[in-house]
Amino acid sequence: MDLKRFGEWLKSLKNEGVEHLPIEERRSFLKIGLKVTGVFAGGTILSVVSRAQEVFGAAPDYVDKYPYKPHYSMVIITDRCVDCQLCMDACVKTNHVPPYGWRTKIFERRLKVGPNEYARQFMPVLCNHCNIPPCVRVCPTKATFKDKKTGIVRMNPKKCIGCKTCMVACPYDMRYFNEERRAVDKCDFCWESRLSKGEKLTACAAACPAGVRNFGDLSDPNSKVYKLVHDPDRVVWVLRPETGARPNVFYTIDGLG
Amino acid sequence: MKRWLLLLLVFVFSLAFYQPLFGQDEEEYPEEPIIFTKPVKAVIFDHKKHVEDAGLSCDDCHDELFEMAAGTAEENEDFNMESLYQGKYCGACHNGEMAFPANRKCTTCHIGVLGWQRLQQKSGEGESSSEGHH
Ligand code: SF4
Ligand code: SF4
Repeated sequence: MDLKRFGEWLKSLKNEGVEHLPIEERRSFLKIGLKVTGVFAGGTILSVVSRAQEVFGAAPDYVDKYPYKPHYSMVIITDRCVDCQLCMDACVKTNHVPPYGWRTKIFERRLKVGPNEYARQFMPVLCNHCNIPPCVRVCPTKATFKDKKTGIVRMNPKKCIGCKTCMVACPYDMRYFNEERRAVDKCDFCWESRLSKGEKLTACAAACPAGVRNFGDLSDPNSKVYKLVHDPDRVVWVLRPETGARPNVFYTIDGLG
Repeated sequence: MKRWLLLLLVFVFSLAFYQPLFGQDEEEYPEEPIIFTKPVKAVIFDHKKHVEDAGLSCDDCHDELFEMAAGTAEENEDFNMESLYQGKYCGACHNGEMAFPANRKCTTCHIGVLGWQRLQQKSGEGESSSEGHH
């Protein structure tokens, strides 16, 4: 059969419905991130789509446009996270975060992997150092700003009047009011505590025992973050892409099941 | 009257012989899951799952892989993922052949700080005497 006739034959087939496909088989597809949408020719042909979009939202289209140098970024391999919170401990210690505040958090969610089967997944969240940061847009005193060189969204606590508008504007809830400093505080990719002093990694990335938090320069093709984001075999996504904030924190999985 | 007594005696004896047999059939294990908090917080081990579902018996793991006393393995320097990959501790079975390999499905056993806190809350809501457990 030549390709054209094969295509016609394919089109002529009727979708027999996924209900008849054994649950086990459907589940094994789901586990590798594919959803079976059709069953043809008595089960010998399956049509599948990636579940990535449905589960995680679309991969960002602004990848490959890196205006900063270094363009600091974090790629989180979220299925490696075990919620040990060593990253949070290191952050609190390094950046003097009070017990009521946070610069990063770990969220937990239940992913449905089968009809009655769920998998636990942990998801670290920190400031996304958005390319179009809603917090910077709303700040009346320019106390929060996007660093022109590195793209890091930083705070100038002296200018902060504590109006908390930025806290409301952040789609990721990654700002808190620091009572002691009388100013809003947030993750600065450890710029003040580490990077500006010559360190290469944030405290959380250095503390993670599981290789979850990959930090580096997204404009450098030799960096781990560049390789992860540009790996064609990887599903890469960002949180809440619909807000248009264009995060520089990316998410992916190693498919550890 | 004597027949009553005889029947009672038979009954008492049957109980006496029956119970040890019963005890041998059913493996006894801690009901509460074991929670490891070192080297990272926190990992859950459920005896029930491993005995009832996986069909293991006590001496499959005790005392070669794990001492009976909870908390003993955690004191060992080598109680970490690297050892598991070398077939020690959980890695004796979790090698991809007998059970899923130790380098996959991390969150099946790693319940994290969040999961640990949840368990503590639950047991706190129960009896207040849970402090004495070990
Ligand atoms: S240190 Fe790594 S594994 Fe532990 S909670 Fe943080 S990101 Fe997750
Ligand atoms: S994540 Fe929030 S705090 Fe960080 S840059 Fe974006 S809007 Fe601002």
